[in-house]
Amino acid sequence: MEAIAFKPSAPLTIGVELELQLVNTRDCDLTRAASDMLALIEKKPHPGEIKPEITESMIEISTGIHTHHDALLAELCEIRKTLVAAADQLNVRVAGGGAHPFQHWSDRRIFDRPRFKHVSQLYGYLAKQFTVFGQHIHVGCPDGDDALYLLHSFARYLPQFIALSASSPYYQGVDTAFDSSRLNAVFAFPLSGRAPFALKWSEFTAYFERMSVSGIVESMKDFYWDVRPKPEFGTIEIRVCDTPLTVERAAALAGYAQAICRWLLVERPGKVTEDNYLAYTYNRFQACRFGLEGEVVDPVGGVRRTIAEDVAATLQAISVHARELDCEAPLQLLGRIARDGNDARWMRDAFADAGSLPDLVWQQAERFRAG
Amino acid sequence: MPELFFLPSWPPAVQALPWYALLLLAAAIAGELVRRWLHLPRLFGWIAAGILLGPQAGGIVSEAMLEDMRGILDVAIGVVLFQLGQRVDFGWLRRNPWLLATSVLEAGLAFAAMFAVLLLIEVPPLLAALAAAIGIATGPAVVLSLTRELRAQGQVTERMLLLTSLNCVYAFVVVHVLLAWLHQEYSNEWLSAIWHPLYLIFGSLFLALVFALATLVLLALLGRRAEAQYIAVFALVVTAVYAAAALKLSGVLVLLGYGVMARAFDAKRRFASFTFGRLGQILLVLLFAITAATLDLDLVPLGAVAGAVLVAARYLGKAVGVFALAPASGLSMRKASLLALSLMPMSGVALILVNDMSMLFPGLGSALASVVVSAIVLLEVLGAAAAYFALVRAGEAEESAKA
Repeated sequence: MEAIAFKPSAPLTIGVELELQLVNTRDCDLTRAASDMLALIEKKPHPGEIKPEITESMIEISTGIHTHHDALLAELCEIRKTLVAAADQLNVRVAGGGAHPFQHWSDRRIFDRPRFKHVSQLYGYLAKQFTVFGQHIHVGCPDGDDALYLLHSFARYLPQFIALSASSPYYQGVDTAFDSSRLNAVFAFPLSGRAPFALKWSEFTAYFERMSVSGIVESMKDFYWDVRPKPEFGTIEIRVCDTPLTVERAAALAGYAQAICRWLLVERPGKVTEDNYLAYTYNRFQACRFGLEGEVVDPVGGVRRTIAEDVAATLQAISVHARELDCEAPLQLLGRIARDGNDARWMRDAFADAGSLPDLVWQQAERFRAG
Repeated sequence: MPELFFLPSWPPAVQALPWYALLLLAAAIAGELVRRWLHLPRLFGWIAAGILLGPQAGGIVSEAMLEDMRGILDVAIGVVLFQLGQRVDFGWLRRNPWLLATSVLEAGLAFAAMFAVLLLIEVPPLLAALAAAIGIATGPAVVLSLTRELRAQGQVTERMLLLTSLNCVYAFVVVHVLLAWLHQEYSNEWLSAIWHPLYLIFGSLFLALVFALATLVLLALLGRRAEAQYIAVFALVVTAVYAAAALKLSGVLVLLGYGVMARAFDAKRRFASFTFGRLGQILLVLLFAITAATLDLDLVPLGAVAGAVLVAARYLGKAVGVFALAPASGLSMRKASLLALSLMPMSGVALILVNDMSMLFPGLGSALASVVVSAIVLLEVLGAAAAYFALVRAGEAEESAKA
């Protein structure tokens, strides 16, 4: 196994991947439609990339590389238009949300591709239970060392991203009490969690080589870390977000990540040490369980506050960079979400109102379509 | 009083035996055998059990017993049609109008093809038209049962269910438009020629509407308790079957319409995950077994040629209709060919229509039956096999359900 080279990319460029739910129009359960959708979409030219995922009821969309939020959002809207048009023809609905509220994992069917079949064999029921839907945000880095610096200093802000995007309160037909139950499914995998602490790309390469020589991993794809470097793209990939209910929110989260990264790279506030991770799992649990009302502890700064307050403070700190990047409007949207409640809150309200989980999924699909 | 009064007389009074229970048992066992040994869907076993136990094959179930089971059969068909109706999504037809066009075209072409070839082999025009109209309908029980057992999902499955429910309605409407012609031919009463079809079509739709609204009101009162929902809806469906018969309306149209409307007016999707569960399954087994036992195999030699010609023309018409609009409606040619195959089954609704017509016009009945029933017999196994093949080849059947 040769050393993995970090392919430099334009710093602070962003790109987004979204895993989306395909549900039927009858009872809004997940349905087997990915191949039919892809067959229909592939015939026509469309922006971005639309790919199958591990089960037939999931589809993944990804954008190109963007320097600004507005262009990213415009591309996401175009992709949404393509998807919704195809779904309408096939009587399928596309919905956001981190998990399907009432699907049964044993009903899921694995998409017919060697890698997916392999994962399914290796992980058994975990692979099917892993029918959860996330957003991945890529941020471009000039080199491997900067990527690792960003990766570790960004860890401090992950709870905000978890809480702002949380949209999986229901799972297997019950209210889990979590705002993001999806991440609990991710934690079951042996190579999930955080990346090992290394600030030099050479150190990281050495770690990866030890792991691959010992046969634990074959590629970076085998790591299910919350943030992981993606050397072939020259990015760090933030993987903690549930797929939000709208592409507007997905784009806003990407803009927020971009602005935080610019702040971290330009101002280099604080020193990055292993101590950053002291409260890592505690904070992450708080974010998953309580969402924006969760409490985070900053062991280095000695601060303790709710995630909503933490979002407000961070927005304040990065305001100059938001202006530089032209992403003030989307960050205002996130500020409103922090104050008024996330998608998980909206979903609980919608369910209380309608009294039926199929109807909740229907409304999720309506929101995805309308934006 | 004799000393051994508590022993039964010999032979025991067998007329008291619930024959449907024995038929059910035999069908269930045959279904399991077929699934385990032949790796085929259970319905082939249910059909085989019905034919072997039925009067035609000299089995233990006699014509009179079948007559006694008539009520169960009607309810079973009613439940199937109701469930099929629930699968119809008007929204889809609006969003993809090419589907409606496909449906009209496949039904129209199938009718035209069947009518033309029957005329060619010198079947009288009225009879040919009636047989062709009946042939429009795909067998609803077969498509529903296969979808369930294979847990099939995907475009072939969804379109097969949609096209089936629509073509059952078309078959019904065309047959009853022909009723006007029949009335003139046989009774020469122009009043019934006009009013009878109108009464049947609009009366049935109105009754369906009444039941659909009653169901939704009842469900709102009962809340979301699945158990209560299912019992209440079953009771209503049975009532609808008998109400249709009492009012001399069409059970087919009432139950299909009931299912469609119950879904269409359920704005909050309270009714979305409703199923008849195990009870539905039991009725389905009985439906296949009783229908198979009823099939009059003696008619086959009489109408074999006409039947075979009808089957071929029907498939051709449906296939051309489905193919012609496949690209426009967003279906690959491969899946279109499978969809055409999946529309082949012909049973339940066709048999009902034959019976209805024979009852109204006994003179016509036997001639019509010989043509249509031989087609039904030919397709009883062939049609189900074609639909099974289509769903599996389309990759829409659940791996674990394929046996």
